[in-house]
Amino acid sequence: MLIAYISGLCDDLIVFYKDKWGWQQLLKYSLKRLVKSMVTLFIVISVVFLFMRLMPEEGYFGQGYEKLDLVQREAILTNLGLRDPWFVQLGHFYKDLFHGDLGTSITYRPKVAVAEIIESKIFYSLYFGLAALVIALIAGISMGILMARSKNKFWDKLGNGYIVFISAVPAAVYYLFLQLYVTDIFNLPILFNKSNPVSFILPALSMALGPTAGYAMWMRRYMVDELNKDYIKLARAKGLSNKVIMRKHVLRNAFVPMAQYLPASILYTLVGSIYIESLYSIPGTGGLLVDTIQRQDNPIVQALVLIYASVGIISLFLGDMLMASFDPRINLDKQGGIR
Amino acid sequence: MKKVIALMLTVALSMSVLAGCKDSAPKDKKTDVKQEYSTVYSEELTTLNYLVTASENEFAVAANLVDCLVEHDKYGVVKPSLATDWSVSSDGLVWTFNLRKGVKWVDAAGKEYAEVQAQDFVDGMNYVLDKKNNSETANLAYSVLKDAEKFYKGEVTDFTQVGVKAKSPYVLEYTLKAPTPYFLSMLTYVCFMPVNGKFLAETGDKFGTDNKTLLYNGAYLLQTYEPQNSRVLVANDKYWDKTNVFIKKLTYTYNKEAATLSPELFTRGEITDATIPTASIDEWMNDPTKKETVRPIATTFYTFFYAFNFNPKFDVKYQPENWKAAVNNLNFRKSLFNALDKTAAMTTAEPYEPARRLSNTITPKNFIDIKGVDYTALGSLAKTSSTSSFDATKAKDFKTKAMEELKGKVTFPVKVVMPYNTSSSDWTNRAQVIEQQMETLLGKDFIDIIILPYPPTGFLNATRRAGNYSFMECNWGPDYADPQTYTDPFTSESNYSWISLATDYKEANGKGKYENMVNAAKAEILDTSKRYKLFADAEQFLIDQAFVIPYSLGGGGFIASKLDPFTSPYSPFGVSSSKFKGQKIMDKAMNTATYKKGFDAWQKARSEALKVAANKK
Repeated sequence: MLIAYISGLCDDLIVFYKDKWGWQQLLKYSLKRLVKSMVTLFIVISVVFLFMRLMPEEGYFGQGYEKLDLVQREAILTNLGLRDPWFVQLGHFYKDLFHGDLGTSITYRPKVAVAEIIESKIFYSLYFGLAALVIALIAGISMGILMARSKNKFWDKLGNGYIVFISAVPAAVYYLFLQLYVTDIFNLPILFNKSNPVSFILPALSMALGPTAGYAMWMRRYMVDELNKDYIKLARAKGLSNKVIMRKHVLRNAFVPMAQYLPASILYTLVGSIYIESLYSIPGTGGLLVDTIQRQDNPIVQALVLIYASVGIISLFLGDMLMASFDPRINLDKQGGIR
Repeated sequence: MKKVIALMLTVALSMSVLAGCKDSAPKDKKTDVKQEYSTVYSEELTTLNYLVTASENEFAVAANLVDCLVEHDKYGVVKPSLATDWSVSSDGLVWTFNLRKGVKWVDAAGKEYAEVQAQDFVDGMNYVLDKKNNSETANLAYSVLKDAEKFYKGEVTDFTQVGVKAKSPYVLEYTLKAPTPYFLSMLTYVCFMPVNGKFLAETGDKFGTDNKTLLYNGAYLLQTYEPQNSRVLVANDKYWDKTNVFIKKLTYTYNKEAATLSPELFTRGEITDATIPTASIDEWMNDPTKKETVRPIATTFYTFFYAFNFNPKFDVKYQPENWKAAVNNLNFRKSLFNALDKTAAMTTAEPYEPARRLSNTITPKNFIDIKGVDYTALGSLAKTSSTSSFDATKAKDFKTKAMEELKGKVTFPVKVVMPYNTSSSDWTNRAQVIEQQMETLLGKDFIDIIILPYPPTGFLNATRRAGNYSFMECNWGPDYADPQTYTDPFTSESNYSWISLATDYKEANGKGKYENMVNAAKAEILDTSKRYKLFADAEQFLIDQAFVIPYSLGGGGFIASKLDPFTSPYSPFGVSSSKFKGQKIMDKAMNTATYKKGFDAWQKARSEALKVAANKK
């Protein structure tokens, strides 16, 4: 995990910054970021670890609790390591972690490695998340551009109507409607079935609806902002064609604020959409966190928190980098206003 | 160009029509119903390791994959399975089983691995009793086997001292702690199942984590196992009794919304059976076509009762001390005992024929009997079991007496904390019905029932086990064929209602009267008749002194199913009832009328079969 983080970081930065920053500055900045992230991760995971151990002990036994006697309960809890003092338990956890061992499940699927459980589910969440993201980006940005170009005319009004509808109606409602009526009209399967490729379509489309509205709205706003700026007037006065202005200047500048959130959107697809996955019966990681907290499967909860926290930290970092690469005015290191 | 396209389309269309015509084969006069079962489920298995789990869901799967020494037929009569015959020593301590020869362990692909031998039962028990394996059913085994508990606790380290031995490859011997006449009924429980020692050592920690790390000797193999997706069981070709396995394939598809979607899937013909949720029963009963496809589900031996808490630990604002003082008064308890209208309460879960699920005793009817006389008809229990506890006049009578006796000691109305689980819409309705009904009957000057909703996660931990209730619906299931199993919730070690803390019942030895009665019954090992009568008296005492209000049996409801219910193996405990061996799929679902006729016939046949079996002994 750490190695992937570091090498990914290096690659990106080398490509974009060779001519802007010196090697030493780059390394210094990344190391600082790295150390801060490690501290954050450590705090987050330790806190979650300790919280899980405050849960009632009966939760570890599932259905059979009434029939167990005291000797059995003690034996089982001791074997699970739950009777050791908290710092001993924490120590074991970090020791295993440094060896790359995420632990084994205790109640969700006993004796099965956590890595194996998450691995088998992550593909589905990633697929649907990325598919939805790609659809949303293409559809959303195109729609935003179209709306900005036909400002206050028909397409703009239509787009606005769509955005308002999506924002006002709760996602749960339109997801459900889609599932019931679209499957009826087009004769699609109601539930996800991995052997039926047709069932891969609707969940991804449903997930894309919300973000599409978001991207469209922001794209339109930033483009309209840019179009009103002085340098565009100059470009027009210079005689540049509309197409060139849009492509080389407006689009690029409008995209900058959105770039910051792009890595986060990509990485958060790992988390999976809890609602869509439960509605279409998709075996992804969406419901996994909630499920494992309820069942008090500590190793899986800890592993998931570790992954999600790392995802959050990495995506913030990459987002900053990406944004800086688009906009030369942004200087990540120094404090200071716009030059 | 257009003409060419039109011509091509016509050709394509006619070809598809012709292809359709060719495909339909001439129908057979008598089509055999395809013996393949499919259904949807929402609760996924956590493990396939049958030696450690205590989940009903997982028992049901294990029942079809691994056989036990004995099994039950469709009337509940014990039949040989992996054991062909057995005998008990004269002192009742040593049970010897002769094993069936030539039974094979196979792997998930159906390939033979080894023969099933007596050592497999010893290895299974060794695994269960080894503390580090975290078996949740170990206590059932060590409650009867000699030195088993000592081995579990580590006081004995040599497993050969424990009361299970392979005398020879096909002779297995169990030595018990004390004579246990119901020992045979315990053998169909997962902790007594065999396992191949060599395979277990090879797979180590991975045993039972998926279908490839498991061996099978039962009617089915687990061909596919994909958690949160599906599982498929296929008939075991090498099964010793394969002529009695009619359903060849069992397909389970995971579906988070199984409970709500399954009736729809059944109507479309995609699954073999679907339980009808209580909320949809009316809809199905009012539709003439659908009505013909549903039948009642039989009641189970799970017993439900309302308990009075003698160790209240709830919020001070509900006055636990006040409740404690009131509940220790016999007349107060009796007034509530007679005030609960069980039929009204039951109608929330069983709107059609609520009476069939009600019970006036803790031990259900038809559980066990002595020489043909049902346990619930023994001694003083007979009158209780046939009389409904609901009696408005008596309730008001006891109320007057209670208010007189408790004047000055207790503040009226007494606050009655009654929690319920919000995930069950039936229970939510029932709590409201009971609150209204009892308060109206007894008057709000006497009791003030406060219903408290709790979420399903950790429900029991938050309520019953923590003493956080005054009056609450509880349940219990039997583990073996003896009345002792239904006394477990009321012992001093249990966390149900702390009856042992009731103030007026202490006897000379410092224990409560009920506890002494139960211990005396438990001590009666040799004379089964006397033993059952003593337990019946203890239960009568429990009910007569209104420590609990027996309420109902589990099961019930309606199901749309193509399985013939009267071909299924039957037993009140253990895993036999979950076996698909012997079951047949019909061409259409059974309706209520046919079911009732069949059930009556089955009950008659069952009592005949039990009599025959009893005489053989």
